[in-house]
Amino acid sequence: MTEALLSGMDQLFTLSTMITMLLGVVAGVIASAIPGFTITMAIVLTLPLTFTMDPLQGVATMLAVYVGGYSGGLISAALLGIPGTPSSVATTFDAFPMARSGQPGRALALGIWASFFGALVSAIILIIAAPPLAMIAVKLGAWEYFSLIVFAMTVVASLVGKSMLKGLMTGLLGLFIATVGADPMMGVARFTFDIDLLANGFPFLVVLIGIFAVSQLLQEVEDAEQTQHGKQLIPANVAFKPLDALRETLSYPVNLIRSSLVGVFIGAVPGAGGSIANLLAYDQAKRASKTPEKFGTGTPEGVIASESGNSATSGGGLIPMIALGIPGSAVDAVLMASLMVHGIGIGPRLILDHGDLVYGMFMAMLLAAFMVLVVCLFSMRFFLRVTDVPRSVIVPVVLVCCVVGAFALNNRVTDIYLLLGVGIFGYILSKLDYPLAPLVLGVILGPIAETNLRRALMTDENWMLFFTRPISLTLLILAVVSVAFAIRQRLRQRPSEKTA
Amino acid sequence: MSSQAPSEQTRSSDRVADSDTRRANALAHLVLNGALVVLFATLFVRAGALPSSMWEPLGAGSFPRLVLAVLIVINLGIMAQEWRHYRSHTATAPGLIRRWLWRHRLAFGVLALFALYIVGVPALGFRLASLLFLILAQLALGVRRPRSLAIAAVIAVTFSFGLDWLFRDVFIISLPRGPLS
Repeated sequence: MTEALLSGMDQLFTLSTMITMLLGVVAGVIASAIPGFTITMAIVLTLPLTFTMDPLQGVATMLAVYVGGYSGGLISAALLGIPGTPSSVATTFDAFPMARSGQPGRALALGIWASFFGALVSAIILIIAAPPLAMIAVKLGAWEYFSLIVFAMTVVASLVGKSMLKGLMTGLLGLFIATVGADPMMGVARFTFDIDLLANGFPFLVVLIGIFAVSQLLQEVEDAEQTQHGKQLIPANVAFKPLDALRETLSYPVNLIRSSLVGVFIGAVPGAGGSIANLLAYDQAKRASKTPEKFGTGTPEGVIASESGNSATSGGGLIPMIALGIPGSAVDAVLMASLMVHGIGIGPRLILDHGDLVYGMFMAMLLAAFMVLVVCLFSMRFFLRVTDVPRSVIVPVVLVCCVVGAFALNNRVTDIYLLLGVGIFGYILSKLDYPLAPLVLGVILGPIAETNLRRALMTDENWMLFFTRPISLTLLILAVVSVAFAIRQRLRQRPSEKTA
Repeated sequence: MSSQAPSEQTRSSDRVADSDTRRANALAHLVLNGALVVLFATLFVRAGALPSSMWEPLGAGSFPRLVLAVLIVINLGIMAQEWRHYRSHTATAPGLIRRWLWRHRLAFGVLALFALYIVGVPALGFRLASLLFLILAQLALGVRRPRSLAIAAVIAVTFSFGLDWLFRDVFIISLPRGPLS
């Protein structure tokens, strides 16, 4: 292992590789800061540029984009209230209120440090524990996946806000929206009514941008007087104090470690990804906090949990890919494609046959985490200037970027029509105080839940297997405990709300 | 004379306005949730016609029907809650909806422009549609002075033609072209 590690480092620490990695980090941060562009899109666009590079240089550059992308989503989440990527949804819950209360610099700084530590933890776990963790991940069958999704859905209980019924409604609405289009098992068209617009269903990214971005931007311009007098989104003194933020981040070590571990575990589960990890990490942090009522109002714990959770999935996602040849997410699939283009066979023997390459990738993750930290710390003062831009400029420009993002996803004009419809619906829901985060969660988890439920029953019609398989049972018990805990917290909060 | 401090006294007109808003809010909920109940019930019936499979106990319609059934129940629950709120507040003062629409005029204006923009992208092409949208939206949102207008024009050109160039020539992704391209 030591020899392979040293050989990998030798190949990695060359000037050309470090320059391309630095450019990759910058590209990842910028791409994911723009609502509508995703990390997957950024990686896919980087892939052709790596064809002329050495295998490790090419993969390291893409890993740099990957790690940079997980941090960049924080920027629009904090400054605009719009998640730059699906993995930044939970970041908006506290980073945006914190920025709105006059502390955008603090929100960004906390997020940067949390992202850094999350990526660091996942890289270290990757180096130490990739093969054994992969063996656990591969034991997950359809029953375990379904139970994992049931557990993940209990996160809705943390996101419902004041009305449990409204939160449940939007969560289930998200589950239903995900069923529109082709049935995942039989390919039958569902609820399309022979309309071309609905033939491909509602792409998740279109729902995310429409629900969060369009409705949020419309709310920004509701106050005609403020908007037309050139008011900025965040009229504040944009102090940026990274050292203070570092101290503050390290003052929540348990939250940091727990959220990072949630991210690594979820990242290691093929198909789960950062979009689930940030919500789960946020939910767990809220439940464990001594002041859960502060979540959603701009508490640093919420920002730290979400950002460390989502960044930690970057290392976690590599675990099944390297140990078993199974991609942890769409991004990992593109990384595999990059290796295959260079003639590197992917499979369980990758670490044995190309040890220097694999350990080089591990070190590239570590190096990318440090690069992202440096780039973000130096560039945040520039990004904070966004707060000086008047709403009259920000709102139309971001709307155009959203349209580009929605179109570029699948090159379909129908997706931008769906964006408009979902955006209007999201605006109506937000005006009537329906929480929007559960809807996004439902759209993410719905297809995974349905597919695995049906696969499980197709394999064996015995429902009891959900309760007799140990990992599945454990997850279901955790789900029940999670719901009971949420109900208990709500009942506790009710007397204090009444006396307030 | 009231024993309350002036700041604690609420004017009767404020209390009426609050009651008006709550009642109007409850009415809006009843309309939205009622429409959703009808929609979900229709979809529930349609889902029953989706084919089942000989290889699995659950067919294409089972999961959506389960979700729709729970959605109908929840929507009815919300309607029951809001009906109680509606009954408990007095009738709304005339002109409330008009005032609400006027207060939100800018948001609706931007939404209307955005809708026209979306429709215009395939018809006019991304560049022209974006240019027009960016100029009109910035004008609607308060850009008036000559310097601001000049900056608005630069922003409009950058984020229409500039973005199109970036995607076409750097990322090799063609955004919709119009009849003039």
